[in-house]
Amino acid sequence: MDLFLQRVIDGISQGSVYALIALGLVIIYRGTGHLNFAQGEMALFSTYCVYQFGEWGIPIWIALFLGMGVGFAIGALAEVTLVRPISKKSPFAVFVVTLGLFRLLNWLDGAIWGNQQLPNSGVGSKQKTFPDLFPAEPDDQFKFLGANIRWERVGVLVLVLVIGLLLYLLFNHTKFGLAMRAVASNSESAKLTGIRTHVVLMVSWGLAAAIGAVGGVVMGGLNNTVNLGLMFGIFIYGSAAATLGGFDSPGGAVVGGMAIGLIENLTSGYFSFIGQEMKLGVALLVIVGVLLFKPSGLFGTAKVERV
Amino acid sequence: MKSFVTIKEGSATHWAIRLVVAAAIVWLAIRIPTVWEAGTISTAIDALTLMAAAMALNLVLGYAGQISIGHSAFLGIGAYTTGIMVSRWGFSPWLTFPVAFAVSFLLGVIVSFPAARIKGVYLALVTLALGLVFPQMMTWKKLAWLTGGGSGLPVSCPATGVSRTCPGTEVPTTGFNIGPAAKGQMETFEIFGWKPFGNLQRPDNKAAFYYWIAAIVAVVVYLCCRGVVKSRIGRSLIAIRDNETAAAVMGVNLVSTKAFIFGISAGLCALPGCVKAITTGGVSPEGLVSITVLGAITFLIVMVIGGAGSLWGPVIGAVLYVFINDKTGTWDKDEKIPGLFRPLLSWAEVAPADGIFALLLILLMFVAPRGLVGMWKQYSPLIVRVVPRPAGAGGAAIALATASADTTTTNEGDTQ
Repeated sequence: MDLFLQRVIDGISQGSVYALIALGLVIIYRGTGHLNFAQGEMALFSTYCVYQFGEWGIPIWIALFLGMGVGFAIGALAEVTLVRPISKKSPFAVFVVTLGLFRLLNWLDGAIWGNQQLPNSGVGSKQKTFPDLFPAEPDDQFKFLGANIRWERVGVLVLVLVIGLLLYLLFNHTKFGLAMRAVASNSESAKLTGIRTHVVLMVSWGLAAAIGAVGGVVMGGLNNTVNLGLMFGIFIYGSAAATLGGFDSPGGAVVGGMAIGLIENLTSGYFSFIGQEMKLGVALLVIVGVLLFKPSGLFGTAKVERV
Repeated sequence: MKSFVTIKEGSATHWAIRLVVAAAIVWLAIRIPTVWEAGTISTAIDALTLMAAAMALNLVLGYAGQISIGHSAFLGIGAYTTGIMVSRWGFSPWLTFPVAFAVSFLLGVIVSFPAARIKGVYLALVTLALGLVFPQMMTWKKLAWLTGGGSGLPVSCPATGVSRTCPGTEVPTTGFNIGPAAKGQMETFEIFGWKPFGNLQRPDNKAAFYYWIAAIVAVVVYLCCRGVVKSRIGRSLIAIRDNETAAAVMGVNLVSTKAFIFGISAGLCALPGCVKAITTGGVSPEGLVSITVLGAITFLIVMVIGGAGSLWGPVIGAVLYVFINDKTGTWDKDEKIPGLFRPLLSWAEVAPADGIFALLLILLMFVAPRGLVGMWKQYSPLIVRVVPRPAGAGGAAIALATASADTTTTNEGDTQ
């Protein structure tokens, strides 16, 4: 029972990181209808920046906000300079550009920080591990109904819930949120009512990348290192979460993320043959299953296709 | 549009140009293994395997419009088929090519069934996940009895005395047994009493031997792609790409056409995988980047830069990629760069080719979405224009009768 509880908490906490990536995907999808393949790599670049700020001795929470700023800048810049001009051509062109951005950012991380794991005393890192947002010493845990629960896990979960709440307030109780929803439901009409759709889209992309940056930093903290492959798997889990929750539903993304985290942790915990290697296979099955049998996901709106 | 030179399709000049281009390619193909040394020949082998993989991907993506970022998995199937059949069961490497094709064909057909319902970027997402899961699956400890787990299949067990046990010590590596002349080792390759490569234990001869295997695979893949594209199925693919519903209405069977094209593409993509396994002599996700998802992205980038939906696009893209990769491979070391550019380029900690190509891909999407070949087709009429021969030129009488009516036929773009 206590093991079950521990796995559930770990799963939900792990899933909340996926929820962050999924939220970024959903925000972009609602605004422009594109699936941003570079979401994970945008987050990875910000994560490397946070590592670098840590090297310069900036405290982690300030570094986190700086990293989010970097993420926002990348996202907004990518939308204005690349995605907006190319989206007039074809969806395939947008896909290729986001994939090119994926490769470019991954290469850029490697070019700046090298392809080894960081922090690494061999390359002169002052930090021993990737800076943690929450206390993460081995004894930073407490007992709850017999389960050992780490403060780190609880902290991550709370952080994600706070971000979710802030986004909810932004979407539903501000004028800008109203504009975002208007653009999401009908971009042309929104433009006619005087909403500056290009500003809304730019901010959407920036916001998505900034939220992704939080996900990257949290993931770096949980793994203690950052490396070039950190985000590949997370991106797939995040997309599985967005698929499950519905690509146009922010609430669905949070629920989907936690569900994916739970499924991942419980299946690999109780079916030991899956092991560490095939966890990702579970995410693949979820994506294929949802797309085949309920393409709109749990909370998304079904798309009617015109012929 | 005015152009400098106008050539009639099928005229003597046109054929002469075609022959010259073909002769130049053949001359280059023969010259590479005879003049270059082993190290540079292996670069050529890389180019050949990459172009074969990109051509296979082109069938699914360029012609049928189904986005796949998972073709590394099919290449990996080929590599692992060769690896397992040779090093575990002791088959001849030649035999592994048809088996790899068949296995990968089946997997491609299986992938096509979800692909029949999942469209566009969602299919890209599914195949991306597939490309990420495949290397994980090969290192899965439950499959380690077959795939060798994380350390992969042997590079050379008995010769270097690695502790891994190789069943069937006659066959120490995944490739041909070219090693120190021991019992059962291959010393030369003989065909009808002719030994074209001499003593294979000399590295240069061995590299030439591998080069020709890769070259033949690339040519076979090209001819298969050409056969598919120029056939009725090729037309159905383009119809599916341009408008799936319309294609279905016109009588294209979506499910069976997609199943066929995914199967063929996957099967063809497995062949360069076999070549990889043979030439590197070992198979593992760490050792072969082309079977990880970054490899699949490289195929896609190469194909799109060369020209999606054209037969020569992947070839040009792959040659360009490997050429630039080779020339800039040591840019992170200082000496090779001219002093003027050193501060600009030497900051990168990894080889710059992938970054250059990612940038090029993004830029090219703006100026020429159909790649370099598309750009050539767009701008070449300014210099050379090939006037298509009138329809029905085979029968002179009919041609005379209808020459005025239909002089516009499709120019299929063999405008070398």
